Amino acid sequence: MNQINKNPVRETGKRLYPMLSRINGEHPFKTQVPGGRVEYKARYRKGGKVSFFNYSLAREMGLIPKTHVEQMSPELEKELLETFSLVIINEYDVMNDIKFPENEIHQNTYMATRYLQLQHPDKTGRTSGDGRTIWNGTVRHNGLSWDISSCGTGATKLSPACSINKKFYQTGDPSISYGCGLSEVAEGLETLFFSEVLGNNGLRTERVLAIIEYDKGISINVRANPNLMRPSHFFGHLKQGNYDTLKQVADYYISRQIENKAWEQTTFKSDKDKYFYLAQQVAKCFSETSAKFEDEYIFCWLDWDGDNILMDGGIIDYGSIRQFGLFHREYRFDDVERFSTNILEQRHKARYIAQCFIQIADFLSTKKKKSLSSFKKHAYLDLFDNHFFACKNKNLLQRVGLKKNHQEFLLKEHGKLVEKFRKSFSYFEKARSKKGVYKVADGINRDAVFCMRDILRELPQIYLSRESIIEPEEFIEIIKSSYAKRADLKVTDQRRRQINRFQTLYASLMKHIQKDFQMTRNQILLEITMRSSVINRYERVTGNSITFIVQKVQKVRPKLSADNLYRLSSEFANYQTLDPDKKFIPVPQPIQTPILKGLNSIVRECREGL
Amino acid sequence: MKLVLYSGGDEKQNLHLDRTFVKLLSKKNPVITLIPSSSYLSEHEFKSFVKHYSKFRITRFIHFPVDVPFDKILFQEVMKSDAIHLGGGNTFYFLNSLRKAKLLPDLRKFVERGGVLTGLSAGAIMMTENIEMAAYPEFDRDENTVKITNLLALNLVDFLFFPHFKNSSRYDAFFKKYSRLKNKVIYACPDGAGIVVNGEELSFFGKVFAFSEGNKFAIN
Repeated sequence: MNQINKNPVRETGKRLYPMLSRINGEHPFKTQVPGGRVEYKARYRKGGKVSFFNYSLAREMGLIPKTHVEQMSPELEKELLETFSLVIINEYDVMNDIKFPENEIHQNTYMATRYLQLQHPDKTGRTSGDGRTIWNGTVRHNGLSWDISSCGTGATKLSPACSINKKFYQTGDPSISYGCGLSEVAEGLETLFFSEVLGNNGLRTERVLAIIEYDKGISINVRANPNLMRPSHFFGHLKQGNYDTLKQVADYYISRQIENKAWEQTTFKSDKDKYFYLAQQVAKCFSETSAKFEDEYIFCWLDWDGDNILMDGGIIDYGSIRQFGLFHREYRFDDVERFSTNILEQRHKARYIAQCFIQIADFLSTKKKKSLSSFKKHAYLDLFDNHFFACKNKNLLQRVGLKKNHQEFLLKEHGKLVEKFRKSFSYFEKARSKKGVYKVADGINRDAVFCMRDILRELPQIYLSRESIIEPEEFIEIIKSSYAKRADLKVTDQRRRQINRFQTLYASLMKHIQKDFQMTRNQILLEITMRSSVINRYERVTGNSITFIVQKVQKVRPKLSADNLYRLSSEFANYQTLDPDKKFIPVPQPIQTPILKGLNSIVRECREGL
Repeated sequence: MKLVLYSGGDEKQNLHLDRTFVKLLSKKNPVITLIPSSSYLSEHEFKSFVKHYSKFRITRFIHFPVDVPFDKILFQEVMKSDAIHLGGGNTFYFLNSLRKAKLLPDLRKFVERGGVLTGLSAGAIMMTENIEMAAYPEFDRDENTVKITNLLALNLVDFLFFPHFKNSSRYDAFFKKYSRLKNKVIYACPDGAGIVVNGEELSFFGKVFAFSEGNKFAIN
């Protein structure tokens, strides 16, 4: 068979991008979990161009040399297109005997993985999984293995449309949107801008490696992560009681975690020990993640199918991800048939996922599937709860602007005080508008009214300046958001007490650090002032801001080369990195390009929104 | 009136100017506010600013960007501080932000009340009658990216100020010609040089040059 000839070669015969050439559909999951995937032949898709390539991520993955210039060459573009510009030959093509030129067909098959999805009527994962995604393969570099998958590579039989309408779809079928197997540049851009910012700020997330663009805004969005497995990859087989495949999925996942040194423990006395360690890791990761989501106001629609999240709590599928500017805890996405969870319910869903993994560990150890409720009092759920609040305490101290050693000291020596401070902080953060619940563009919300980031940024400066506490009216003036109406801002007796309590607890935390670290009051406040001005910067991205940013980038994109888009997204993500410990090379007069200035002004405008 | 006009340069170059500034504060434990020309990456500028003045045992600082909304509580603290430093950057953008935030009259009042106002480069130009100087010479100027036409600034001094001056024939030719068109003296300061205004008294630090009616004079 005269198949596609990948890999440009130099005249000497040496491949220019040997790591890219290894991405050819081969993946250990294919052989280790045969019941967990569907394989497809794939063909080269013509008419594509690379509209984005993530040089920094590619270097991290070893796909390009460390010294590679951040400039798209014809050779690199050709190699990227030959690797990622592909479309599957699906059931519709086979049934209708559609012929494709032999020389355009790739030698290897590509897999779509099976996982549980609540949109499927089956509800047990027999029909669901990657509906428009295939896994390109895996690469290993510097002791780390990476999974690479592409969204928009054709309609698989695992899409909801296929299972609901009981028919196979031709890729690109205009009669159906999500099930047509294609994706759009806008989706890729949204994931790119959001994931780079969140990733830089310490959240685990998928990242965009490349966007291959076709006519009419259609694209293939290539994603990468050290492990793209989701809880839902386990849950389908759990629901079905399919011990063998579930065990294969677990063993595959565990071996990757060990291979990537993602776990502290790498050897186990028994299988039981191994599977319960997996459950423990999930409990820890998901309590940490749900605490982080709450504290960073990240809305991620967690549900019982474990579809919208990676196994380590990393974010995947940015379609429904939002970051709120305030603690809009009553926002719910309207998904036509039902409303999503809200930000506070995420914790319960995360806990449920942890409980499912205890059930999985028990099932794999005993070969008997017990009911989920049998594990409702399991010690790992206590671990989840305790770790959740410990993470929330730590997150708050970090948000205040304290250095790591000061955080650790307070958590260890003055845990109860930190706990009290968190409750006091939460009182203001949770305050809601008297306006009540109302409809927003894509759901419902009841506005939060206070911006706690502002008080954390300003309070240490004011304390430095005046050396006394601030009046309750001043406190409210600082934290009031644009959502607050006069009725929301009343300084009631209870609020007055809470404001005084907040300041007393804040001062106590500072005093303990002063005493133990032998610092003066001004030294600690000044340190916090500097750190907090970065952490709680006036402008922080929100979901709405990302939507508008993508619209703006789309407008100027005809003039933006792949390299310009890379530079723009990198500069934007760097500016949105709210890490006071990040090394920064001082520039006398940092210059914002007009487009970056435009993006930052969008962030400013949307800073308190959804 | 207490003003310090910095051109630029490093800590070592500005040592004498800094010492004079600290003396002007004439207060133990003063509060200094940094108003950066732009909020973009200004936290890092603030960090460097704090590091720089901490060497003079100053421990109380406020970071106050004006191109983002601010509340009156922090603003009141700024106006109560002992010194305000106007940062360097794009002079047009800075003036536009100060004007939009309606801060020019407040800064004048701050100086009238005895506060020390310091400025670096763009911040120093801001203390003159207008920021026209930022548009010249053509080979070394700020872009008027915000396209403002009203260039009137704080008007605290009766001279023009040009920072980052390079003592070369190209600059000389321009400033000699330009000074013929103006009825004010232009003080051109290389990095490390600057001017201190204390009441009626003007002190010059480093190699300051004056251009007036087509002539160049070296001061100091």
